[in-house]
Amino acid sequence: MNRELLRNISFYAIILALQLLIFNQFKLFDLVTPFIYLIIFIHYRISYDKTALLLIGFLIGFIIDLSMQTYGCHTFSTITICYLRSNIEKSSFGVNANLPLAMIKGTPLLSRVSFFLSLIIIHSILYYLFIFFNISLLSTIFLYAFVNSIATFIIVWIISGLISNR
Amino acid sequence: MQSIINSIVKNRNLIIYLVLSFISFNFLFNNSSLHHNELGKISTYLSATSSKFLSSINSYFNLKKENEKLINENLQLKKIESKYRFTETNKDKLKSLSSAKVILNSINKSKNIIIIDKGKLDSISLEMGVISSDGVVGIVKNVTNNYASIISLLNTDLRLNAILKNSSTIGSVSWDGLNARILKLNDIPLSSSLKVGDTVVTGGMSFYFPKGVPIGKIINYDNSSLEGYYEIDIEVFNDFSSLSNLYILGRTDNDEIKSLLDE
Repeated sequence: MNRELLRNISFYAIILALQLLIFNQFKLFDLVTPFIYLIIFIHYRISYDKTALLLIGFLIGFIIDLSMQTYGCHTFSTITICYLRSNIEKSSFGVNANLPLAMIKGTPLLSRVSFFLSLIIIHSILYYLFIFFNISLLSTIFLYAFVNSIATFIIVWIISGLISNR
Repeated sequence: MQSIINSIVKNRNLIIYLVLSFISFNFLFNNSSLHHNELGKISTYLSATSSKFLSSINSYFNLKKENEKLINENLQLKKIESKYRFTETNKDKLKSLSSAKVILNSINKSKNIIIIDKGKLDSISLEMGVISSDGVVGIVKNVTNNYASIISLLNTDLRLNAILKNSSTIGSVSWDGLNARILKLNDIPLSSSLKVGDTVVTGGMSFYFPKGVPIGKIINYDNSSLEGYYEIDIEVFNDFSSLSNLYILGRTDNDEIKSLLDE
């Protein structure tokens, strides 16, 4: 258990470092910053405590907010997807979703894509809603959320593939 | 107590989520001037909207009070207007002007009656004239302590002294029991000149109304009668189907005139 915990913490630290040092500097088309730290919440074992997931989400979101000067937008979006994660997992994988199915080989591709995209899109929409905080800019908010979700999804999918291969 | 604790434990994730969300919002709105300003705008809008909503509800429940206030104001204005209108021809004849609400009204019979919520205790007595803001309504017929019945203009028994406003030709107004908007103006000789649209007002030659209270306007007349009088249709100013507030006129000179007639 301790070994697993240590491995998880190392994984979180590496992803966080990648986000802070590399992807935060990344500005695709001047509007896209992929949020690869979402991979932490995608790969979190739901058999672990959901309360712990919420607290981890809060901590990671808070660190990202401090580094990007986004004052709580990441924190709120992240704890929301952490709270909704079990529901999204059930809707993507069906009622028998009880283990980290997203990482199990043989899981239907469509289910995995649906699970990844749902988490990423909800996070992006919430994040940009709070970043712009102006209902008259709804089309811009959805454009940013869409482009960002696609970029995040591609990178997260690739990293997930690498992890599962290992 | 145990059930409360169980409920909290059961919903701990929701509670933690709400607490963490609150901390995030607090962090966001305290540190970002954009969000702080926008939140201020939303707060102003919400408070204004809720105040407006509460105000409209409040005003709805105050409608009765407002209505009574308006009736009283209307009564005061009516008194001033009546005094002004009747000053020249009816000096000091108007003793009082009381308001009353219609509680029963009919227009579909040949002898229509209106019941009002004022009676002897409110100084209402027999044969007082009754008007609305649009003109003549009828005459008080019976009075109890708290109620009074009025013979409406839409009563075939009532004949009311009237004149043409422009020519001062004297006639009388009655109802033929057919159309609730149309009265007959009788006894106007063919020698008089009149036209459609002329106003008919009370003639002042009765105990009930002073001179000049509006009744209606001429909408049609026939001068082919062999009896030497016009047959005139007048449209009443009052809509008798929607009467609500009435005013009862009290005249100072009725008793004096009646005593002379009795002698």
